[in-house]
Amino acid sequence: MYLARAEIVSNVWKIVAREGDQVGAGDVLAVLESMKMEIPLVAQVGGHVSKILVELGQIVQEGDPIVEIDETASA
Amino acid sequence: MSKLDHPVVTSATTPADQRTVLTQRRDSRFARVEPKGKRVYTARERAEMLVDEGSFVEMTPMRSAGAGAGSGVVSGWGTTDGHSVVVVSHDAAVASGAIGAVMAESIQKAQRFAIDKGYPIVYINDSGGARIHDGIFALHGCGGIFAHNIEAQSRIPQISLILGPCAGAAAYSPALTDWTIMVKEQGQMFLTGPDIVKAATGEDASAEDIGGWALHTKVSGVAHLAVDSEEDAFDATRLLLSFLPTHKGGAQKRHDSVPANPHAAAALPALVPEKSSIVFDMNKLLDGVLDNGARLELSPEHAPSILTLFARIDGHAVGVLANQPNARGGILDAKASVKAARFVEFCGRFDLPVLTFVDVPGFLPGTVEEGRGVITHGAKLLKAYVDTKSPKLTVVVRKSYGGAYIAMGSASLGADANWAWSNSEIAVMGPGGAVALLHRRALKEADDPTALRDELAAVYREEVARPYLAAEAGIVDDVILPEETRDRMVAALRMLTHGSGA
Repeated sequence: MYLARAEIVSNVWKIVAREGDQVGAGDVLAVLESMKMEIPLVAQVGGHVSKILVELGQIVQEGDPIVEIDETASA
Repeated sequence: MSKLDHPVVTSATTPADQRTVLTQRRDSRFARVEPKGKRVYTARERAEMLVDEGSFVEMTPMRSAGAGAGSGVVSGWGTTDGHSVVVVSHDAAVASGAIGAVMAESIQKAQRFAIDKGYPIVYINDSGGARIHDGIFALHGCGGIFAHNIEAQSRIPQISLILGPCAGAAAYSPALTDWTIMVKEQGQMFLTGPDIVKAATGEDASAEDIGGWALHTKVSGVAHLAVDSEEDAFDATRLLLSFLPTHKGGAQKRHDSVPANPHAAAALPALVPEKSSIVFDMNKLLDGVLDNGARLELSPEHAPSILTLFARIDGHAVGVLANQPNARGGILDAKASVKAARFVEFCGRFDLPVLTFVDVPGFLPGTVEEGRGVITHGAKLLKAYVDTKSPKLTVVVRKSYGGAYIAMGSASLGADANWAWSNSEIAVMGPGGAVALLHRRALKEADDPTALRDELAAVYREEVARPYLAAEAGIVDDVILPEETRDRMVAALRMLTHGSGA
């Protein structure tokens, strides 16, 4: 399992990926808002989005997991 | 009573005998000692590979710490791209490179030579640290190496390569040098190795866990570059040296001027997104301004919201500092501040011009960053700019707010020339935050607060944040178009270096 984590303290502004989606490395999973910047959360690996761990508007700290990706399920 | 009091000459030593003796001594001293572990090359081979072919000259090659052993280090000098450099290469084949009294003396002799004669020094580190058998003599010798490292900081560039497990003194000396390059999966740096860590604290960690390249080039920032092989480490060192003068006050390296990448230059006017919240890759902007040639980015994976790199503009070697919106929004935080301050301070010490490209949303506030000491570390960046007396050129390419505006090479910190792109914003805070603060009551009472906020933000942007206010006040020298940036910087640099590049 790969966990895409917040790189900065922020609020969850957009959730792009949905559970069950197939994503590739480099795909935008969510957009975090911090310091008035729209900071894309990018998948470092490809796979199957197995769980969204946050809700819209939720405040997350640096390092918090946002999206869980099952790498073994990569097509 | 010595033999000289009653000499008995049996037979005169012939010149041929002395030739044989020297040859034998050299053969035994220069015999290839097979490297251990993952190492492929001997200490001497490493030194020879670093410098121009055939240029290595060993200092005191016969120095010995005991019968049959060398001093534990191969030191000498050679050239890289024709410029002299002093090299110190730990010999891990002798007692795992442990630093004994004789080895420490040999290293200090090379350091003294480099400092006095004004040449950069490269340390090829592969040592377990102080030699236990030598006790206080080893400690005293290691301390002497550190003292020379520190003296050298104001005189000559120092580069450390980590080509094996380096503990204790062999890790501390690099920390006192300017730039450290590690070979992946081969070089480690730690206070002490896994066995002693386990005994001391109970922590069960591998050598890579406590001192590998991933830890030091991404998390700790102790090392500044990770490469795949020893050959790559030597190439990176030669590239790094190509940007640096040989010593404080020495001639700056000049190449022929090369135009910026034509595609990147053509893309420059439309590169930066109008909306200040949208990220982009600062490297593409730099491509459109700097010479289209060699560059070396340091600490690319540590605190990536700030870029620090050596490059050229108009053929002149320069240090470039730039916010990277693509990472953490381009903010300044505690780690980015330390990284940036260290880089600017280095450029100042060796008279390298500093080019600063600004697109910064601010210093990142909050519990985590305050706990990391962002105030203290941010202050280091302010100090580094003020202390740096080499030419300082700054351009704001989109937004620059608050304390981060000041910290990013502003006029107040001594920028020799500074510009702002016509679409940029400079203010105490961004429009969103400012409007929320200034019009709190009106927004609270509004029927449609979102619409009012957008309207007020637009007014704020035009009336408060546009760079014309700064230019009319003479704080920003001029408001420019993106495509004018290179010419402005080139002209300023020619003027500030007296047209000579010196």
